[in-house]
Amino acid sequence: MFRKRPYLLTALLLLIALLLSIALGAVFIPPGTILRILADLIPGVALDPDWPESFSAIILSVRLPHTVLIALTGAALASSGAAYQGLFRNPLADPYLIGVAAGAGLGAVIAMSLNWPTNLFGFYLIPVGAFIGAVATVLLVYNLARVNGLVPLTTLILAGVAVGAFASAVTSSLMLRTDLQIHRAISFLLGGSPMTGWDPVLAALPYMLIGMGLLSLSGHMLNVLQFGEEEAKQMGLAVDRAKVFVIVTASLTTAVAVAFSGVIGFVGLIVPHIIRLLWGPDYRRLIPLSILGGSTMLLLADMLARILLAPSTLPVGIVTAMAGAPFFLWILRRAKKEVFW
Amino acid sequence: MLTISSLRVAYGSRTVLRDISLEVSPGEILALIGPNGAGKTTLVRAVSGTTPAVSGQVIVNGQDLSNLSVTQRARVLAVVPQARQLGGAYSVEQAVMMGRTAYMSWLGRESEADWAAVRLALQQTRLESFARRSIAQLSGGEQQRVLLARALAQSTPVLLLDEPTNHLDLQHQTNLLSLVRKLAEEQRLAVMMALHDLNLVSFIADKVALLVNGELKRFGTPQEVIRAEVISEAYRTPVEIVSHPVTGAPIIFPQGVLNHSK
Repeated sequence: MFRKRPYLLTALLLLIALLLSIALGAVFIPPGTILRILADLIPGVALDPDWPESFSAIILSVRLPHTVLIALTGAALASSGAAYQGLFRNPLADPYLIGVAAGAGLGAVIAMSLNWPTNLFGFYLIPVGAFIGAVATVLLVYNLARVNGLVPLTTLILAGVAVGAFASAVTSSLMLRTDLQIHRAISFLLGGSPMTGWDPVLAALPYMLIGMGLLSLSGHMLNVLQFGEEEAKQMGLAVDRAKVFVIVTASLTTAVAVAFSGVIGFVGLIVPHIIRLLWGPDYRRLIPLSILGGSTMLLLADMLARILLAPSTLPVGIVTAMAGAPFFLWILRRAKKEVFW
Repeated sequence: MLTISSLRVAYGSRTVLRDISLEVSPGEILALIGPNGAGKTTLVRAVSGTTPAVSGQVIVNGQDLSNLSVTQRARVLAVVPQARQLGGAYSVEQAVMMGRTAYMSWLGRESEADWAAVRLALQQTRLESFARRSIAQLSGGEQQRVLLARALAQSTPVLLLDEPTNHLDLQHQTNLLSLVRKLAEEQRLAVMMALHDLNLVSFIADKVALLVNGELKRFGTPQEVIRAEVISEAYRTPVEIVSHPVTGAPIIFPQGVLNHSK
């Protein structure tokens, strides 16, 4: 029954993951209590508080912002991954593998080192730097990887690795400067652990909503592009406009995720791939489903990161890399047969 | 009515098509023939607008295509690309629906008219029973019918085909071309197609345009163009031509083969 209702299934899983993510931690807070605490916040609802006061504080100022940021990050990485895959007509495009995340990271570090965020306005500026880095990288990789109008697997991965490595090297070389702010920025970025508190959530939210909203609208264009640019044009798609649209929105979405959560790999690869296997290649639903599935997947990885070495926390980027790298190799072996998607 | 007048196409400083003028009426099939590299595919691409022309015009029903947007053009002229292996997991119905892009909103939401056009195209190409199948699972001949159906779903007065029978076996070649013939007559489509096999050309075409080195050498009925001296010179290969005993259509043999069999 769930196979036929992809949205219901993915939304239910997301709901469970959200509750679990808020529940888990040094103190376990039962989901029932979480729901009552949240319901109590709704104006007009006055519940009799039968929970310790510290529970509300933990949920509202620590776990909830963390959970929301993780969910948004996963959604952003998975949906932009799906969009890049459609744009490059290649199932292995992932913001991390094609170097866009590294480019966004460089942009974010520069933005942070110029002005370490101390207020909400400072937080709003980081994604701008990350966005510039991301767009520059994707344009460079795309043009380097293009052979006769196609973007083959080999050149895409090679160009992505090369450009990504270059951006990371520039980022690392900034470490040599004795500037404290740069050190903070870089250790955050490479740590793959999201920022804490509500400020990054509030700063990410508008960019994310715009980016993912627009990505969800690009499904039909991406479908038509799968037949190649020339045929897409003959079918009546304004190809150049469509490409710019997808590049800008996917890069914006990736950039915001990187700016507040650091470099987290493989979510953008794994989630769209699983959804394609389950529900087919139609990008009109692949992208919204990747949004739902991506948040669920990163929430699960984040819970693992918090549980595995408790009481200390592993960066979630390490968990996704450990799980994602074998998965990537598996797809690579399958893809040999069908290099172009 | 498709009118091509004084069309000239160049890649950089190299002129690949010069001064091409042709006309195709509704219900008529024009075949483009010529040796490899003569410019057949380039002409199809230039007429469809994917390769820009240096000068000249392509006019459909009085409208100059260079004044139209990509979307408007796709409502006037549809292209069936060369046969090739289609990847991806789209269903036949989804693939044919993509032919409706020019009529859809930005979001790609299908209207009732879009569904009607898709159903008609599937019916015309006898693909109804394949509608839900994945295109990757179809045979080469079936995939080519999907590409034809996608072009028909564009509901255009003009249909271009670029060597649509490449890689197809005799049965699928004949089926596809008969289908195009039938559609041209019933739907009053003006059809222009690049074709390699000259015997298929004389079997299907009302008019033939012979291109050599980017120039239009001959333009006329199959009987007028497919003649031994014309073809021998254009293809630099001695050929002999006999007439089909029933239809009178020219049938072509390379001369070496005839001598050898004697």
